[in-house]
Amino acid sequence: MIRTIEVLFTIIIIAGAFIAVSYFTVLPPPSQVSPMNLRRLSFTTLQTLNSNYDLSNAAFQPDNASLWGGMQVALSASLPSNVVYNLTVYDVNGDDGQIYNSVTSVANTKNLGATSDMSTYTVASLNVTFSFSPQKIGEGTDGGTLYILNCSDANGWWITGYTAQGLAQDLYNLLSPYFVNTIMVQNTAQLRQLIDNQTISASPSERVQNAVVINTFGESVPMPQEYYQGNSRASLGYDSSAPSGYNYVKYCYTLGSTVRAYNWTWASIVGYPFYYVSNNAVFSSSQNGWGIYGMKMTSTGGSRAFLQGLANQPYSYDSRGVASDVGGVTLTNQAIDFTNYYGIYPSSYQTSTRALSNSILAGYDLTIGFNVFNPVGTNNPGAIYNHKSSGSSDITGSLLALGLTRTPDVRVTGLGLLSYYQPRLYSSQYTANGTSRLVVLQLGLVGSA
Amino acid sequence: MASATVDHMISLTVLIAALLIFIGLFSQTMQTGLAYERHSALSTKTSDILDTILLNPGLPTTWGQSDTAPLGFGLQDPAYRQYLISPFSPMRLSSSSDSVVYYPRLDSYYSNNTAGFGGYLYVPKAQTVNESTVSRLLGINGTYGFQIVLMPTLTISIQKISSGSPLQFAISVDGTGSPLANSPVTYSLITVNQDGNEYPSYTLAKGTTHTDSAGKAQLPPFSGINGEAQSYALIVYSNLNGFKGMGYYVHVPTSSTKSVIPLIDSFENQEILLVHSDSLGNHQVNPDSSQISYNASFVILAEDYNLRQIQLNQPAEVGELTYGSGPGQDYAYLTVPNTDGILLVTYKDTSSGQYGVGLMPWGLGSLAFPLVFGGDDTGHDWVTTDLRQVTIGGITYQAKLELWELSFQGIT
Repeated sequence: MIRTIEVLFTIIIIAGAFIAVSYFTVLPPPSQVSPMNLRRLSFTTLQTLNSNYDLSNAAFQPDNASLWGGMQVALSASLPSNVVYNLTVYDVNGDDGQIYNSVTSVANTKNLGATSDMSTYTVASLNVTFSFSPQKIGEGTDGGTLYILNCSDANGWWITGYTAQGLAQDLYNLLSPYFVNTIMVQNTAQLRQLIDNQTISASPSERVQNAVVINTFGESVPMPQEYYQGNSRASLGYDSSAPSGYNYVKYCYTLGSTVRAYNWTWASIVGYPFYYVSNNAVFSSSQNGWGIYGMKMTSTGGSRAFLQGLANQPYSYDSRGVASDVGGVTLTNQAIDFTNYYGIYPSSYQTSTRALSNSILAGYDLTIGFNVFNPVGTNNPGAIYNHKSSGSSDITGSLLALGLTRTPDVRVTGLGLLSYYQPRLYSSQYTANGTSRLVVLQLGLVGSA
Repeated sequence: MASATVDHMISLTVLIAALLIFIGLFSQTMQTGLAYERHSALSTKTSDILDTILLNPGLPTTWGQSDTAPLGFGLQDPAYRQYLISPFSPMRLSSSSDSVVYYPRLDSYYSNNTAGFGGYLYVPKAQTVNESTVSRLLGINGTYGFQIVLMPTLTISIQKISSGSPLQFAISVDGTGSPLANSPVTYSLITVNQDGNEYPSYTLAKGTTHTDSAGKAQLPPFSGINGEAQSYALIVYSNLNGFKGMGYYVHVPTSSTKSVIPLIDSFENQEILLVHSDSLGNHQVNPDSSQISYNASFVILAEDYNLRQIQLNQPAEVGELTYGSGPGQDYAYLTVPNTDGILLVTYKDTSSGQYGVGLMPWGLGSLAFPLVFGGDDTGHDWVTTDLRQVTIGGITYQAKLELWELSFQGIT
């Protein structure tokens, strides 16, 4: 009998345990088990309310009963009938030391029920315009002019799908806010004027010295006709001793010398720099080997000649290549940081088939001013090279060489130049008192759903 | 000795019975807890899938304006961010429950998504995306069942309250929760000109008013228009604090039995096929030949909520559709712009002299058409629901997703 009594005690203990477990393990109501995502519903409601800036308008007019009456009607109409709300507007950075001060509130309930959630939305005053003003490159110094080659009498190469003029316009739109002066070089005659240290616009702030020159013609570079064989400056553009067909490498040398003399930053936006020279008039019957007339090939000797001129070395024809195919390349971390700062977002992954070799650094007194792309082995897919004469710390001419494959992305050029010069952006004070308000929409579920 | 044995046996039997009962009781509690855990996870999944659908445009991003099947599913408008839905992508969705019409001449089937009288939305079945494809693209094929509902947040009901002339309407603007009180209302009345012109044109009368505290308004009477004898369409917009809705009302005299039906032929080429109504389906019609002349226009909603006509500048803008014997054909191809709007077709039955008008939304929001896409949740133990406010072609919608597990049979 005693065992039966023991079993009964055991049953009582287990039953007690079950009752205790059942008491404490209360299952939640279905509305809490799989609730509607009130946070997202609240957020999308706030977005819709502000789609025409009506919420912004109302948030800064808390005493306007008509506006807030309409807001209540819109909220009641748009939310399901079993959803109650409380919308509160807070002033950000109040004067009394508190960060958030309640400005006004509307609700259709006193109690938001057991299930509630909320979203916040920051609205800006309609009376405030947020903008930024960039620092001008070269402002206060003897420079600050951006020349963009837009020559109508030259042809481009490796800018497939684009025209040089189209690229020039894109670069103008992208970079002109950052320079004191941005001037389009409309033809090769104007380019010759620049080479002669002559200004080409009526702007009093135009400076040939310390300018940035962007060659939008890809692997080709516009050549004034004076440098054509037999013309007035043939000695500066034509090398009769160079292998036949590549005689205009001398013009590249002249450009290199000019870049050094005026401390220009010459930007080559794509491919092998100075691989062709172009002038539609004098080369009208010549083609670059691929069927594009108005162009002559200088081949690998063009870059060498340019670098000789930049380094103030005597000219001698040198056909040794300076670039290699390195395949996929990536933006450097510094360049990626600047993409966010300047809001320019080219793809971080590019393909470089014309990456300049590090061997040119020592050979032509060059140092790397900024790496746009991470070096691959001994090659730099995209970098700004500064020339500093031996024993001097002064920069005398620079070259931005983006050895990417076609087609060009001018945003990489823009990013490269801005990352190098690093002009500051002065934005308006977004957090100024009274310009922002925080709107909180809290939603709750009523009923048993 | 015997009593001890009996005691032993009784106690053991009672203990085993009690243990079995308690195991059952405890397992019930545990099973319920586990089921609730699954339900909770299903709720999270619902929210995730709904955001996946609404916050990505799919792949390719312009699949809504192409004739090929998408490689990735999403409804976001590729030109915008946030919860702005492409007006075209939802038009390509077709549930298995949709009715289908057959057009024998082209041997094509069209999914009938028409909502309301006078508004047509026929989408070529071959270009629609069905539930199983979407399920596969979302990665929930065989795991979850779903139903997407896109429903206008504001419902504008229009009622004709006059008899004969003048014509008058009463409208009612209701939200999902309550009426839209004191909201501005813009209306446009399109009346078919019954002036003997071979290709009937229309006259547009427009105005604005406000709803009262109950969300109702009465439009001023349109004098000179007989509400029964004439053909007309009324398009009404209402908006308040970013929430926009629209409604329409089309009237064609009951004696007018022939009409022009617009069928979408190509989303990619923006081609619409205008067909004679008798040509649709495999049925005998009487008389066995008839001709309709039509005049097609395309209108868009301007920022002031008025309709603005876009010139189509095509030969097929006007023409005749001949059913049965006789010269001419029973269809015409028309190209519409790549922006969303309303295709408006006014027509005349050349034999009976009856006039009519029809509307077709080019973009789901243009006529605030609703969409129900996906499976049927009937019979499933636990269905979770999530909701977002979205905008389609300027009209505010509520996007609702219902999700259920296909394999889970619930608590037994």
